[in-house]
Amino acid sequence: MVRRRGRVMRWVFRFLVILVGGGVLSYALGQDSTSKNAVRNGGDFSTAADGATPLVKVPEGVILVKGAWSSASDSVTPLPEGGSVSGNAYQNDYFKLRYPLPAGWGQQYEGPPPSDSGRYVLAQLRPEERNRGIRGNILITAQDLFFTPLPAADALQTLTFVKDNLESDYKLEQLPTQTKIAGRSFGFMAYWSPVAQLHWYLLETEIRCHTVEMVISSQDTKLLESLLLGLDKTTLPDEAGLSSGKGGGSVPVCVKDYASSRNVISRVDPVFAETKYNPVPVRIIIDKQGRVKHIHFLSAFDSQTKAISDALGQWRFKPYVVGGQAVEVETGIMFGRVGSAAAARGQPSAIE
Amino acid sequence: MLKKAAVMSALAIAVLCLSAISDAQTDPGVQSGSRGTGAALSSVQSDDNAGILAMFNDGQSRFQEVESVSGAGDTGLGPRFNSNSCSSCHAQPAVGGSGAANNPQATFISTGVAPKDSTPYFVTPTGPTVEARFPFYFNRNGSANLNAPNGGVEDLFTVTGRPDAGSCSLTQPSFSAARAANNIIFRIPTATFGSGLIENIDDSTLLSNQAKNLNNRLGISGTFNHNGNDGTISRFGWKAQNKSLHIFSGEAYNVEMGISNLLFTQDRPLPGEEGGGGSGQTGFPSNCLNLSGKGYPEDTMNPGQSGPGVLDDASAFANFMRTLAPPATGPVVLNGSTVPTSSISNGAALFSSIGCAACHNPTPGTTQKSNITGSLSNAAVNAYSDLEIHHMGSGLTDNVAQGGAGGDQFRTAPLWGLGQRIFLLHDGRTTSLITAIRAHNSRGSEASTVEGNYQNLSPSQQQDLLNFLRSL
Repeated sequence: MVRRRGRVMRWVFRFLVILVGGGVLSYALGQDSTSKNAVRNGGDFSTAADGATPLVKVPEGVILVKGAWSSASDSVTPLPEGGSVSGNAYQNDYFKLRYPLPAGWGQQYEGPPPSDSGRYVLAQLRPEERNRGIRGNILITAQDLFFTPLPAADALQTLTFVKDNLESDYKLEQLPTQTKIAGRSFGFMAYWSPVAQLHWYLLETEIRCHTVEMVISSQDTKLLESLLLGLDKTTLPDEAGLSSGKGGGSVPVCVKDYASSRNVISRVDPVFAETKYNPVPVRIIIDKQGRVKHIHFLSAFDSQTKAISDALGQWRFKPYVVGGQAVEVETGIMFGRVGSAAAARGQPSAIE
Repeated sequence: MLKKAAVMSALAIAVLCLSAISDAQTDPGVQSGSRGTGAALSSVQSDDNAGILAMFNDGQSRFQEVESVSGAGDTGLGPRFNSNSCSSCHAQPAVGGSGAANNPQATFISTGVAPKDSTPYFVTPTGPTVEARFPFYFNRNGSANLNAPNGGVEDLFTVTGRPDAGSCSLTQPSFSAARAANNIIFRIPTATFGSGLIENIDDSTLLSNQAKNLNNRLGISGTFNHNGNDGTISRFGWKAQNKSLHIFSGEAYNVEMGISNLLFTQDRPLPGEEGGGGSGQTGFPSNCLNLSGKGYPEDTMNPGQSGPGVLDDASAFANFMRTLAPPATGPVVLNGSTVPTSSISNGAALFSSIGCAACHNPTPGTTQKSNITGSLSNAAVNAYSDLEIHHMGSGLTDNVAQGGAGGDQFRTAPLWGLGQRIFLLHDGRTTSLITAIRAHNSRGSEASTVEGNYQNLSPSQQQDLLNFLRSL
């Protein structure tokens, strides 16, 4: 009887546990289903009260969400935009260019990414803060001649175009002429703004089928002369010249329109997952066997990069032969929407 | 003794000179005199295309309506919103403009517009009227998930607790947590004066400008944003993400005021509220839907009406903006004195000479023949914008992608009307032209060289440039 009574008591206890426990559970569930105001973590909501995990903040002043941007198929091959300022010099391994900065000058900020028209801002130099008495700019840019929107095939033609289309704000000081910088031929012209009292000196040469341009500006003409003389300390590749910069030697030969049908043995068009409306200029290096060895996207969305990489990996070219020997060749292809100015000049397009 | 006095005098002069240099340029500030901004295009005023003036007046009236959630009158507000009237944001210096000096959002709690909400930390009585966006979704511990871009508008307020909102009860987005994670950016309203002219520039004109403009020695190479439906150039909004004024007004009605309409037909939850960022949420609870009780879309056409009243609100707004005259230029007052016109004309020449006009194109073109009204036909568009998007660098990036524009790309802000704008740059971070100009120089900006040219000018030249900008 005692044993039976104890068994009954245990059942009653269990029943109470279930009852109370269930009640607590249903109360909790009820709270969850009815409390619409409770802040939920994730998405747009956060109580940020975890405390256990370090808070990941969005870094200040960093461009994380990028639109069409530059990229490459490998991280070893030098890129035109890969230069930098260090040790008081601007160094660019792609162009094999080294420019020792004038004393007291530096690069405060790097320039924008390459444009979809093939324009690069390689370096933008200013007097450093401690040197504010000096006022001027040095801008080093490059324009990929495979994708140039200008009707110019080389550096001298580019300068002539600039002269012929100089805005009415400016007066010519020096017609385009040839000069030598560090033993290489350059085009040179100068103009000024009477209202701003600013003078611009333009120096232009060609390297690897790009015009490389140095623009020096200041109100101080003595400073300009000094900066001009300082350019002679620049190191340049042997190929650099007004119309001679076509690669070769230790870098691939560059050939416009090499990706035309007469040189392409087989090709596969990229399949884009979504429609975009941007031009996608692409430079490729083709190896001695006719395979695509390196791809440089000047400006492309990630989805375009993937589709074009997959396609170009299947292209086969006739090997480029110089003096009976196959050599590496660099050329350009425009995917996506060809810019209107480029289209008018019949730029190479993947859409033939 | 004399020697000491001479030294002291020299020091005093030096200090005065330094002071003069540091104060050499002054932003003349917001110009208060009436320039007639906010009027209709001249051909609209003369009712060229009979009925167009009535349409302008009707649109202007609707633009100022204050919306309620339900009941009589203008309804459909919410369940989430940034404001309850178009003109509460587009107010300066006239209806249709940019943000006013006094931010109406700062009064919404106390006046019962959003009675149960809290005023977000960034909304202040004299600060800019804003919308907020979270560039990234939150992880569950409050961190920004840098692998999950968000970028959608996080409406500041809810209808919770309003007597006309029934039992709908919503939580505001986590603005304080977003601040802690540095995961919040702001946008201010764009002025809409002259926007019908911008809408009516042909794409070919803009493309031709772009090709011509690539011949610059400034490191500038812009591109265009495009409409995803037809591939043509889009041109409205801070990133040129909106194709037309109809799209612009329909989207704003939906996103900023929570009113579904013929272009955007559903109530809009927050990005994470409908599952974005893996939140697991599935949109508004049923007691927050159809709050007006009238069904969807909350704004629709009115077939029983006549004249302009037959239109839906979004169309009326678009027609109003489309037929607003462009802002007129005007004299500039600096420190109580009117600036000589020679200073302004010199500033205009400097603006062009140093390269500002490479992007802020004074006249990107003339309009096509218009099928709406005469003033929109063959008219010079003096907008001071190329309508391209440009990389503006790490200092201005908001890490929000819209259409083809990445996190650091912005449409060249049209500068017409700048003289009477209070808050500057996309997030209204400054009221100073000088600060705004300096902000053009940062890592990755296309405008750094031009900003450098500005810095290379003499103080008096810089002053002329500032005077010119406030004349616009």
